[in-house]
Amino acid sequence: MIEKGRKSFSGGRRYRNEDITVYWKPDACVHASYCYRELIEVFDPGRRPWIDMEGASTEKIIEVVNMCPTEALTWKWNNPERNLEIGPDQTNHVIFRRPELAGDETEDTEVREKPVSVRIMYDGPIIIKGDFILKYGDNVREMKGGLISLCRCGLSNRMPFCDGTHRSTGFEDV
Amino acid sequence: MENNQENKTETVVEVVEGGPLKITGNIIFQDIKRDIKVNVRELYLCRCGRSCNKPFCDDSHKK
Repeated sequence: MIEKGRKSFSGGRRYRNEDITVYWKPDACVHASYCYRELIEVFDPGRRPWIDMEGASTEKIIEVVNMCPTEALTWKWNNPERNLEIGPDQTNHVIFRRPELAGDETEDTEVREKPVSVRIMYDGPIIIKGDFILKYGDNVREMKGGLISLCRCGLSNRMPFCDGTHRSTGFEDV
Repeated sequence: MENNQENKTETVVEVVEGGPLKITGNIIFQDIKRDIKVNVRELYLCRCGRSCNKPFCDDSHKK
Protein backbone atom coordinates (compact mmCIF):
# COMPACT_ATOMS: atom_id res chain seq x y z
CA MET A 1 0.00 0.00 0.00
CA ILE A 2 2.86 2.33 0.74
CA GLU A 3 4.59 3.52 -2.36
CA LYS A 4 8.34 3.76 -2.07
CA GLY A 5 10.88 5.62 -4.15
CA ARG A 6 10.55 8.90 -5.94
CA LYS A 7 7.71 10.56 -7.72
CA SER A 8 7.29 13.94 -9.33
CA PHE A 9 5.07 16.79 -8.24
CA SER A 10 4.87 20.26 -9.69
CA GLY A 11 8.16 22.01 -8.98
CA GLY A 12 9.97 18.99 -7.66
CA ARG A 13 10.10 15.40 -6.59
CA ARG A 14 8.98 13.42 -3.60
CA TYR A 15 10.74 10.60 -1.88
CA ARG A 16 9.16 8.36 0.72
CA ASN A 17 9.91 5.67 3.23
CA GLU A 18 7.27 3.96 5.32
CA ASP A 19 6.91 6.92 7.74
CA ILE A 20 7.44 10.17 5.89
CA THR A 21 7.61 11.82 2.48
CA VAL A 22 10.42 14.27 1.73
CA TYR A 23 9.69 16.95 -0.86
CA TRP A 24 12.50 18.41 -2.93
CA LYS A 25 12.18 21.64 -4.89
CA PRO A 26 15.44 22.21 -6.75
CA ASP A 27 14.62 25.83 -7.67
CA ALA A 28 14.46 26.79 -4.00
CA CYS A 29 17.92 25.39 -3.17
CA VAL A 30 20.58 27.95 -2.23
CA HIS A 31 23.35 25.36 -1.82
CA ALA A 32 23.63 25.79 1.92
CA SER A 33 24.82 22.15 1.87
CA TYR A 34 23.49 21.13 5.27
CA CYS A 35 21.79 18.05 3.86
CA TYR A 36 24.75 16.25 2.35
CA ARG A 37 27.25 17.39 4.98
CA GLU A 38 25.05 16.04 7.72
CA LEU A 39 23.74 12.92 6.04
CA ILE A 40 25.51 11.82 2.87
CA GLU A 41 23.99 8.34 3.28
CA VAL A 42 20.61 9.86 2.39
CA PHE A 43 21.44 13.08 0.52
CA ASP A 44 24.14 12.43 -2.05
CA PRO A 45 24.25 15.00 -4.87
CA GLY A 46 26.48 12.70 -6.91
CA ARG A 47 24.03 9.79 -6.91
CA ARG A 48 20.82 9.22 -8.89
CA PRO A 49 18.31 9.35 -7.35
CA TRP A 50 20.14 11.70 -5.02
CA ILE A 51 17.89 11.00 -2.02
CA ASP A 52 17.89 7.49 -0.59
CA MET A 53 15.16 7.24 2.00
CA GLU A 54 16.51 3.94 3.26
CA GLY A 55 19.92 5.45 4.08
CA ALA A 56 19.08 6.52 7.65
CA SER A 57 16.34 6.45 10.27
CA THR A 58 13.22 8.56 9.81
CA GLU A 59 14.19 10.54 12.89
CA LYS A 60 17.58 11.45 11.44
CA ILE A 61 16.11 12.36 8.05
CA ILE A 62 13.60 14.70 9.73
CA GLU A 63 16.40 16.32 11.74
CA VAL A 64 18.44 17.07 8.63
CA VAL A 65 15.49 18.21 6.49
CA ASN A 66 14.62 20.66 9.30
CA MET A 67 18.09 22.21 8.89
CA CYS A 68 17.38 23.26 5.31
CA PRO A 69 17.18 27.08 5.38
CA THR A 70 14.84 27.20 2.39
CA GLU A 71 11.84 25.34 1.11
CA ALA A 72 14.04 23.14 -1.04
CA LEU A 73 13.60 20.26 1.42
CA THR A 74 10.41 19.76 3.41
CA TRP A 75 8.71 16.71 4.84
CA LYS A 76 5.36 15.32 5.90
CA TRP A 77 4.16 12.22 7.73
CA ASN A 78 2.55 9.67 5.46
CA ASN A 79 -0.19 9.21 8.02
CA PRO A 80 -2.30 12.39 7.63
CA GLU A 81 -3.42 12.25 11.26
CA ARG A 82 0.13 12.55 12.52
CA ASN A 83 0.55 15.76 10.56
CA LEU A 84 -2.00 17.42 12.82
CA GLU A 85 0.25 16.85 15.83
CA ILE A 86 3.26 18.62 14.36
CA GLY A 87 4.80 21.28 16.58
CA PRO A 88 6.11 24.64 15.37
CA ASP A 89 9.65 23.47 16.16
CA GLN A 90 9.44 21.27 13.10
CA THR A 91 9.80 24.27 10.88
CA ASN A 92 10.52 22.50 7.65
CA HIS A 93 7.36 20.56 7.76
CA VAL A 94 5.38 21.27 4.61
CA ILE A 95 2.41 22.61 6.58
CA PHE A 96 4.49 25.24 8.34
CA ARG A 97 6.20 26.23 5.14
CA ARG A 98 2.83 26.79 3.55
CA PRO A 99 0.78 28.96 5.90
CA GLU A 100 -2.28 28.52 3.72
CA LEU A 101 -2.35 24.88 4.84
CA ALA A 102 -1.84 25.67 8.50
CA GLY A 103 -4.70 28.15 8.81
CA ASP A 104 -4.32 31.70 10.09
CA GLU A 105 -0.82 32.67 11.06
CA THR A 106 -0.39 35.99 12.74
CA GLU A 107 2.02 38.26 10.94
CA ASP A 108 5.00 39.25 13.04
CA THR A 109 4.78 43.02 13.39
CA GLU A 110 8.21 43.17 15.02
CA VAL A 111 9.83 41.96 11.84
CA ARG A 112 11.54 45.27 11.05
CA GLU A 113 13.19 45.28 14.48
CA LYS A 114 14.74 41.89 13.98
CA PRO A 115 18.42 41.68 13.22
CA VAL A 116 19.46 40.35 9.85
CA SER A 117 20.88 36.86 10.07
CA VAL A 118 24.25 36.34 8.36
CA ARG A 119 25.39 32.73 8.39
CA ILE A 120 28.62 31.26 7.09
CA MET A 121 27.90 27.79 5.78
CA TYR A 122 30.44 25.02 6.33
CA ASP A 123 32.79 25.21 3.30
CA GLY A 124 29.92 26.91 1.53
CA PRO A 125 28.17 30.23 0.89
CA ILE A 126 27.06 33.15 3.04
CA ILE A 127 23.34 32.90 3.75
CA ILE A 128 21.63 36.21 4.57
CA LYS A 129 18.08 36.25 5.84
CA GLY A 130 15.77 39.07 6.91
CA ASP A 131 14.94 42.64 5.89
CA PHE A 132 17.83 44.42 4.25
CA ILE A 133 19.01 46.48 1.30
CA LEU A 134 21.10 44.54 -1.19
CA LYS A 135 23.53 46.45 -3.39
CA TYR A 136 25.50 44.81 -6.17
CA GLY A 137 26.79 46.39 -9.36
CA ASP A 138 24.18 49.02 -10.26
CA ASN A 139 21.40 47.11 -8.50
CA VAL A 140 19.77 48.22 -5.28
CA ARG A 141 17.11 45.81 -4.07
CA GLU A 142 15.00 46.05 -0.97
CA MET A 143 14.67 42.60 0.50
CA LYS A 144 11.78 41.95 2.89
CA GLY A 145 11.92 38.61 4.58
CA GLY A 146 14.48 37.82 1.92
CA LEU A 147 16.93 34.98 1.74
CA ILE A 148 20.03 35.12 -0.41
CA SER A 149 23.08 32.92 -0.77
CA LEU A 150 26.34 34.62 -1.75
CA CYS A 151 29.50 33.06 -3.18
CA ARG A 152 32.51 32.72 -0.90
CA CYS A 153 34.79 30.57 -3.08
CA GLY A 154 35.21 33.19 -5.81
CA LEU A 155 34.27 30.76 -8.60
CA SER A 156 30.50 31.03 -9.01
CA ASN A 157 29.16 31.53 -12.53
CA ARG A 158 26.28 33.53 -11.10
CA MET A 159 28.20 36.19 -9.13
CA PRO A 160 27.65 37.49 -6.56
CA PHE A 161 25.32 34.56 -5.83
CA CYS A 162 26.27 31.00 -4.99
CA ASP A 163 25.58 28.45 -7.72
CA GLY A 164 26.94 25.41 -5.91
CA THR A 165 30.32 25.47 -7.71
CA HIS A 166 32.19 25.23 -4.36
CA ARG A 167 31.17 21.61 -4.14
CA SER A 168 32.92 20.53 -7.34
CA THR A 169 36.00 22.70 -6.83
CA GLY A 170 36.52 21.51 -3.27
CA PHE A 171 36.49 24.95 -1.63
CA GLU A 172 37.75 24.55 1.91
CA ASP A 173 37.11 27.05 4.61
CA VAL A 174 40.53 27.09 6.27
CA MET B 1 7.87 63.69 18.21
CA GLU B 2 10.06 60.93 16.93
CA ASN B 3 9.42 59.34 13.64
CA ASN B 4 9.86 55.60 13.90
CA GLN B 5 10.48 55.03 10.23
CA GLU B 6 13.32 57.50 10.02
CA ASN B 7 14.97 56.30 13.19
CA LYS B 8 15.22 52.73 11.99
CA THR B 9 18.71 51.70 11.09
CA GLU B 10 18.59 49.79 7.89
CA THR B 11 20.85 46.86 7.34
CA VAL B 12 22.74 47.18 4.08
CA VAL B 13 24.43 44.29 2.30
CA GLU B 14 26.85 45.64 -0.28
CA VAL B 15 28.76 43.52 -2.75
CA VAL B 16 31.92 45.58 -3.25
CA GLU B 17 33.14 45.34 -6.85
CA GLY B 18 36.42 43.41 -6.81
CA GLY B 19 36.28 43.38 -3.03
CA PRO B 20 34.55 41.91 -0.01
CA LEU B 21 30.95 41.74 1.10
CA LYS B 22 30.28 44.72 3.34
CA ILE B 23 27.37 44.46 5.75
CA THR B 24 26.31 47.25 8.08
CA GLY B 25 23.36 47.54 10.44
CA ASN B 26 21.77 45.18 12.91
CA ILE B 27 23.39 41.81 12.31
CA ILE B 28 23.40 38.40 13.96
CA PHE B 29 26.51 36.76 12.65
CA GLN B 30 26.91 32.99 12.80
CA ASP B 31 29.73 30.74 11.70
CA ILE B 32 28.93 27.11 12.36
CA LYS B 33 32.39 25.75 11.61
CA ARG B 34 34.05 28.16 14.04
CA ASP B 35 31.22 28.10 16.57
CA ILE B 36 30.70 31.88 16.47
CA LYS B 37 27.38 33.58 17.17
CA VAL B 38 27.54 37.33 17.81
CA ASN B 39 25.58 40.50 17.36
CA VAL B 40 27.58 42.98 15.29
CA ARG B 41 27.12 46.30 13.47
CA GLU B 42 29.65 45.87 10.71
CA LEU B 43 31.19 42.97 8.77
CA TYR B 44 33.60 42.54 5.88
CA LEU B 45 33.43 39.03 4.50
CA CYS B 46 35.75 37.36 1.99
CA ARG B 47 34.25 36.71 -1.46
CA CYS B 48 37.36 35.67 -3.38
CA GLY B 49 38.13 32.50 -1.41
CA ARG B 50 41.74 33.55 -0.80
CA SER B 51 41.62 35.24 2.61
CA CYS B 52 43.90 33.80 5.29
CA ASN B 53 41.43 35.01 7.88
CA LYS B 54 38.21 33.40 6.58
CA PRO B 55 35.39 34.11 6.69
CA PHE B 56 36.64 37.70 6.97
CA CYS B 57 38.34 39.74 4.29
CA ASP B 58 42.08 40.34 4.76
CA ASP B 59 42.62 42.18 1.45
CA SER B 60 44.08 39.05 -0.21
CA HIS B 61 41.90 39.83 -3.26
CA LYS B 62 44.25 42.72 -4.08
CA LYS B 63 47.28 40.45 -4.37
